[in-house]
Amino acid sequence: MAVNDVLNELTQRRAKALGMGGAEKLERRRAEGVLNARERIEKLLDPGSFFESGLLATSYRPEMRDRTPADGKIAGFGKIEGRPVALMSNDFTVLGASSSIVNGKKIRHMREIANRNGMPFILLGESSGARMPDRMGAQGRAILGQDPTEYQRCRHSPWVSALLGACYGSSTWYACMSDFVVMRKGAVMAVASGRVTSMAINQPIESEELGGWKLQAEITGQADHVVDSDEAALAVIRRYLGYLPSNRSEAPPVHPVPDGAGENARRILDILPPDSNKVYDVRKIIEAISDPDSVFEIKARFGKSIATALTRLDGRTVGVIANNPMFKGGAIDVDACAKATSFLVFCDSFNIPIVFLVDQPGFMIGIEGERRGAPGRIINWMNALSLVTVPKISVIMRKSYGQAYLNMGGGRNSDEVVCWPTADLGFMAPGVGVNAMYGVKKEDDPKRFQELFEELTRDTAAWGLAALYETQTVIDPRETRDCLISLLAVHRARHGSEVGQHLLSNWPTSY
Amino acid sequence: MADTTICSEIAGTVWKVFVEVGDAVEADVPLLLLESMKMEIPVVSSDPGVVVEIFVAVGDSVAQGSPVLSIRC
Repeated sequence: MAVNDVLNELTQRRAKALGMGGAEKLERRRAEGVLNARERIEKLLDPGSFFESGLLATSYRPEMRDRTPADGKIAGFGKIEGRPVALMSNDFTVLGASSSIVNGKKIRHMREIANRNGMPFILLGESSGARMPDRMGAQGRAILGQDPTEYQRCRHSPWVSALLGACYGSSTWYACMSDFVVMRKGAVMAVASGRVTSMAINQPIESEELGGWKLQAEITGQADHVVDSDEAALAVIRRYLGYLPSNRSEAPPVHPVPDGAGENARRILDILPPDSNKVYDVRKIIEAISDPDSVFEIKARFGKSIATALTRLDGRTVGVIANNPMFKGGAIDVDACAKATSFLVFCDSFNIPIVFLVDQPGFMIGIEGERRGAPGRIINWMNALSLVTVPKISVIMRKSYGQAYLNMGGGRNSDEVVCWPTADLGFMAPGVGVNAMYGVKKEDDPKRFQELFEELTRDTAAWGLAALYETQTVIDPRETRDCLISLLAVHRARHGSEVGQHLLSNWPTSY
Repeated sequence: MADTTICSEIAGTVWKVFVEVGDAVEADVPLLLLESMKMEIPVVSSDPGVVVEIFVAVGDSVAQGSPVLSIRC
């Protein structure tokens, strides 16, 4: 065979693979305003940086080879802001990007290279689940489960998932293993599709109800961020990775400090209400102490009595865990516990120092919390906190009551405890405390109640803590940013390379 | 356009109501205040919308999870 003939064949085979599931299906997507798998790659990566792996891979079944360009899952390497990444992009136009032997090999190769070479692993999800008939019968079993590390969350680099359509099977499983999940409105993530589920349980189910963005962002917390379009999802992934090192052996990248950084920190007293019984949105405090436009909130719609955010102080990445009195008065519920713990795991995995901003009246007590295992969540959080090896700074702004004082970094549970003069370190809300401890109600004996109330509120200010060196620093709230920059510099230095031990790196987060 | 019922996240007493039926509201802006745990705790909408119905009045006790108002988003 002449060289020209095989070169022509290569050209033809490449063109066929690049044609994906065919013009008709691609046109239908375009009409719906949804990007196809290759357009997504193009929008995600730096221009011209994509290098494909497995363009000519197809189904292992000879009779299906013509119908399975790239076997429905496009793999390759590229760059984001000049840094290398490995990625998978599901091509729904090819048999619904169903999972098969060959495309499973592609995922495994990408995951291994990402881990070994220390580059983020990105999965653009949209898949229908296991491919049939490949997975049927005894023969199907023989190809299933041949990689016992398939669902092992041992990662040396950040894993990011996007949910960009119908997501069942691999797109869902990888999202649950990822450090960050962005979901487009209209996408669905579930164990099985609405159609299959309806048949199985014999009642009609809307896919949106089964696994739409409201469910995943507000009820389960399995989606970290919600967007309106494919384009926005891809832009968010680029932004997110900008806070992270390429892998856990590196420090997070340092960004230029924008003009005007620090000016907003002087406005903190405008945000903090003068009365301690009034609430505020702690996210405004995070904005005020951060570099301008650097706050990136994670799980904004889930467990809202705690806000978690990536942000930058003086150009350097910090993870903030802040009580938000705006929601439930800041009382920490089960969802907020799970959110805080998964954020600790994430920060510890990638050398991101943690700042606690504390204003909480305790854990949310009640039957609902107990039914959902609140004690286990609270202690999971403490266990995680005790294993964190990145710097931890706790700033007690106002209330810090009960056990949650420890969860939010009180005592030796952080490297430094900083107090605002407004700090209130009671063990519980004093009015409730008088009743709980002494059985005295205000309406029964107002004088005795007042005496006991004063007893319980005695010595709960920052000064007592400072005298005992339980807080190392008491600051004017307007000094918070400068104080954190100084203390973080001190505590980053202990590692020399700013790299921690990652004792939490294989903890589950979707539990 | 769907109506979303906003429920109280916490048990408390309705202390102030800032909106009326027909008002356009922004996300995460207090619509009414509950008093609970000696705190003024706002009820907010996660999304912008228009107030369709208000189920409570000043002085009412609300349980955790009980409907407070509904918003058309």
